[in-house]
Amino acid sequence: MGLTIIFGALGVVNFAHGSFYALGAYAGFVAYDKTHSFLAAMAAGALALLVTGIVIERGLIRLYYNRPKEDQILVTFGVAIILVEALRTGFGGLAQALPVPSWGAGAVYLGLTYYPTYRVEVLGIVAATLVVLYLVLYRTRLGLIVRAGIEDQLMVNMLGINVTRTFLTVFGLGAMAAGFAGVINGPIVTVTPDMGADVLVQSFVVIVIGGVGSFWGALVGGLIAGEILSLTAMIKPAYSQVMLFAAMALVLIFRPQGLFGVQGRQ
Amino acid sequence: MTVPRAAGAARFLPEFGVAVGLVAMPYALPHLGGTLDLAQRILDWGLFGLGFDILFGFTGLLAFGQAAFFGTGGFTAAYFLTAPFTANTLLALAAGTAVAAALGMVIGLLSLRRAGIYFAMLTLAFGEMAYFLEISPLATWTGGENGIAGVPAPHLAFGPFAFDVTTPQGMYWLIAVLFFIGFWLAHRIVRSPVGTVLRAIRDNEGRARAVGHDVAKYKLMAFVVAAAYGGLAGGLLGLLQGYMPPDAFYLDTSGQLVVQTVIGGAGTLIGPLVGAAVWLYLYTALQQVAGIGALWKLLLGVIFVVLVTVLPRGIAGGVVMLWRAIRRDRRAAAPGPVAAIAAIAEPVVERVRAPLDGPVVLRAEGLSKHYDGVIAVDDVSFELVEGEVRAVIGPNGAGKSTFFNMLAGVLDATAGEVWFRGHRLAGLDAARVCQLGIAKSFQINQLFLGLSVHDNVLIAALARRYGKFHPAMLRDVRRVAGLDALVAETLAAVQLGDRAAMPASALAYGEKRRLEIGLALATRPQVLLLDEPMAGMSPSERADTMRLVKRIAEGISIVIVEHDMDVVFELADRITVLYNGRKIAEDTPEAIQADPQVRAAYLGSPVDHEPARA
Amino acid sequence: MSLLELEAVNAYYGEAHTLFDVSLHVEPHEVVALLGRNGAGKTTTLKTIMGVIAPRRGTIRFDGAPIHGLPPYKIARRGLQLVPDERRIIGGLTVEENLVLATLSAAAPWSLARIYALFPRLGERQRNRGRDLSGGEQQMLAIARALVREPRLILLDEPFEGLAPLIVRDLLGVCRRLADDGHTIVIVEQNVQAALSLAQRCYVLNNGHMVFEGTPDSLRRDPEFMRRHLGV
Repeated sequence: MGLTIIFGALGVVNFAHGSFYALGAYAGFVAYDKTHSFLAAMAAGALALLVTGIVIERGLIRLYYNRPKEDQILVTFGVAIILVEALRTGFGGLAQALPVPSWGAGAVYLGLTYYPTYRVEVLGIVAATLVVLYLVLYRTRLGLIVRAGIEDQLMVNMLGINVTRTFLTVFGLGAMAAGFAGVINGPIVTVTPDMGADVLVQSFVVIVIGGVGSFWGALVGGLIAGEILSLTAMIKPAYSQVMLFAAMALVLIFRPQGLFGVQGRQ
Repeated sequence: MTVPRAAGAARFLPEFGVAVGLVAMPYALPHLGGTLDLAQRILDWGLFGLGFDILFGFTGLLAFGQAAFFGTGGFTAAYFLTAPFTANTLLALAAGTAVAAALGMVIGLLSLRRAGIYFAMLTLAFGEMAYFLEISPLATWTGGENGIAGVPAPHLAFGPFAFDVTTPQGMYWLIAVLFFIGFWLAHRIVRSPVGTVLRAIRDNEGRARAVGHDVAKYKLMAFVVAAAYGGLAGGLLGLLQGYMPPDAFYLDTSGQLVVQTVIGGAGTLIGPLVGAAVWLYLYTALQQVAGIGALWKLLLGVIFVVLVTVLPRGIAGGVVMLWRAIRRDRRAAAPGPVAAIAAIAEPVVERVRAPLDGPVVLRAEGLSKHYDGVIAVDDVSFELVEGEVRAVIGPNGAGKSTFFNMLAGVLDATAGEVWFRGHRLAGLDAARVCQLGIAKSFQINQLFLGLSVHDNVLIAALARRYGKFHPAMLRDVRRVAGLDALVAETLAAVQLGDRAAMPASALAYGEKRRLEIGLALATRPQVLLLDEPMAGMSPSERADTMRLVKRIAEGISIVIVEHDMDVVFELADRITVLYNGRKIAEDTPEAIQADPQVRAAYLGSPVDHEPARA
Repeated sequence: MSLLELEAVNAYYGEAHTLFDVSLHVEPHEVVALLGRNGAGKTTTLKTIMGVIAPRRGTIRFDGAPIHGLPPYKIARRGLQLVPDERRIIGGLTVEENLVLATLSAAAPWSLARIYALFPRLGERQRNRGRDLSGGEQQMLAIARALVREPRLILLDEPFEGLAPLIVRDLLGVCRRLADDGHTIVIVEQNVQAALSLAQRCYVLNNGHMVFEGTPDSLRRDPEFMRRHLGV
């Protein structure tokens, strides 16, 4: 759940992200296999995606900046297919196991019930990442450029800043986040080539509920989504996914721009 | 993408070609290494794609959730047949189609509230929702993960006649017939007024709205049509397999439809069929080759990305473009009548000033616009008399554009009202305002660049003829009474008659400006608002346009925003001068020229200052 | 050698031919006014200089080196700075953030203290978001933002537009101080009197053509000309 917040906060959603997530998980799997260090796996996942993201952006996506939106959607969808299929070819379609790291084994007693240690740690990692993300956006120069560029790209350009290069960096960061997320989630869900699709859809629902381009929107959206899922799972598990979509539909009817939606200048 | 205007029997060439293809397929198949089952599936996907192509290829709406309708239609039909509610297969199929269309209406209403990638993701999300609904809550009816098995062989009953389809050949012919009917229908829709408006929406949605079309309703219509086709195709899938699988609802299914349509060529109607052939053929063929069997989808992904990048029109689209290019070259080789643009100097037409004693057609009272503490327009009142030509001028930042847009009903006023022949314009959308009789031409050309000059005017004329929304899906747009006359008159008025067949993108800039005015004219407005019509024109183009405005000023009332003072003085009966959001003068051109306040506004009043540095 | 030199520049706005063989030059430490009615092509000229629009024909030289065809960020880094006519303050950033953003690519930027000394009102509103500023304050911020980069040439596009006369007077004082400090300025304005009070030389554009080059005095001496090209 928290991972979708990261996607949302970056305001960068494209189809390939789902496959980046899967790619990250596999990269982590390979690294773990070789090194038996979960830390190395995390690093591998993040790095592999940073490289992939930059390569794809430079090689392909940049051709599409002036093409209609629909074409951009199509090409990222195509890239997702290629990546997923490449993974399937390389690793086979069966699930791989990325074991829980040694520092995540066991369970923790949290008041009401025992909770798997790893999941609690994941929560912590996600929270830490979110804090880092927030700091980057609001306290660093890069974050300043990104926030300004989202609002008025031309003006930032006129102030002597090469905005397209910055956006490339953001795309790379987004890919990296996805890869990292893939590794982190590896031990919790099974690692398969198709694991990206669910995350993609959920992250989109979060964005719709929370609003586009808003950090807090993504955060709140993610929390709401998580709550809906867990609450309904307790009552009637079969309906939990459906309820999430129903919530999204409600937001669309009554407040199409999302709870915290912000408009920017192209 | 202009529909080729073939005449007479040639109009049915596509249907004829499809019919021939369908008949020949079973005989050609064994030689190509395919089976009847493969052909059936290809046709089913082709049918699914007909509706999707109308939505995506023609209207430009990329949806990723069509599986919802495919599955819904399929499961409804399968349920009807296995429950059993009916033994009549066609009835079950019809039920499936209807339910899918209804679902399309609901999802469409929700999803179309957003555009672009959000629309795409929304449809994807609803597609997933449908899948989850099928798996769990509705499992008692749908069989959950198992789907519905035992779908009976088709039993077709027409009154006293009934026959069962028991052979693969029979199934093939059933699907082929349904595909043919679906194609014929889709082709009619594309050539209908609705289809023409859909293409306009794809080209320039804002302008389609501005000339008076209710864009939202047309989009919804396309969405429902796509859903209906999806539902029918889903039902057929259950029949040809004898089993309705849950993977009909998969995201993969929606994705496959998109990929096939793009590979085959969006906007051609048979593109999805071609794409399905490529996909399914590659799938079956590669399975047999050892070693790379599993690579088929990877290969397809690569083909897809390459095509989107290099040949966005897809295979069929590329063929169509080639065909048209050949025809164009052949036509260019044969010399046609030389297009004579009026290079002859027309005598200067002196315009007789309008008497200004008629009724008031457009009235603004105390119009103001506030933005966050900035007052853009401050309490401006305005009355336009029938037949008058009024110019609105003022220095930069005077509030001209804001005022103009409020008059046009495009911008809501913070205070004050605009009345047009007794109607209040507050809160009306652009289409409604245009339908009332106020038309606007834009400062930056808003044309339908992908359509011909004739079709550009046609879109506007259609709105005039049919009103905001008219679900005419079956008649041929060229057979609509009075439309051609309207278009011809308008083209003559803006002197673009000899350019009618050219794509709008190929016009010279001055001609495009004239077409821009023509679009507004074609809606036969009572009040015409011209936003800087002379923008960017050369002196000769300027003169042409001035003559044009003088001609059309007979019988219409006009408001022009302009900077070019020569133009303003020659055309206007009266001039309204705005400065800092307020009206500072309103009088005949002569009086305005002599007005000291106006002069100060333009040149700036003397500022308290030290002498300038030498 | 002039600091800025345009030679026979032809520019298009989309397909509309907006500048016809426009030539002008600016010497160091000068204030040059570019006048004309709106629609005449003044803003287009500034945008073309800044690289927002690429000229189809003609050359633009800054310090002798050609800059036509370069992207805006490269031109900004050479020392040209445009203060656009819509001001274009980043509303979501604070005053301070707007200024810091401008310093990021500058070689020798002003310190914030120095800017606040020149614009005390901005100092008071450091933490306010750009969108919460008044029109006059936004204009001040836009000019400050350009100054902070220590530009060699400032292009001011309609700085007085839409502002109350008192604020115009304040801003005029600021501009005069900048000129006195030796900054080179090209000012585009519809408020002819204000512009002429600042400038040593002026140009007049009409429908994309340059129709006058000379001193403010020689322009003032021909009221008929002024009326025809600048007035009504």
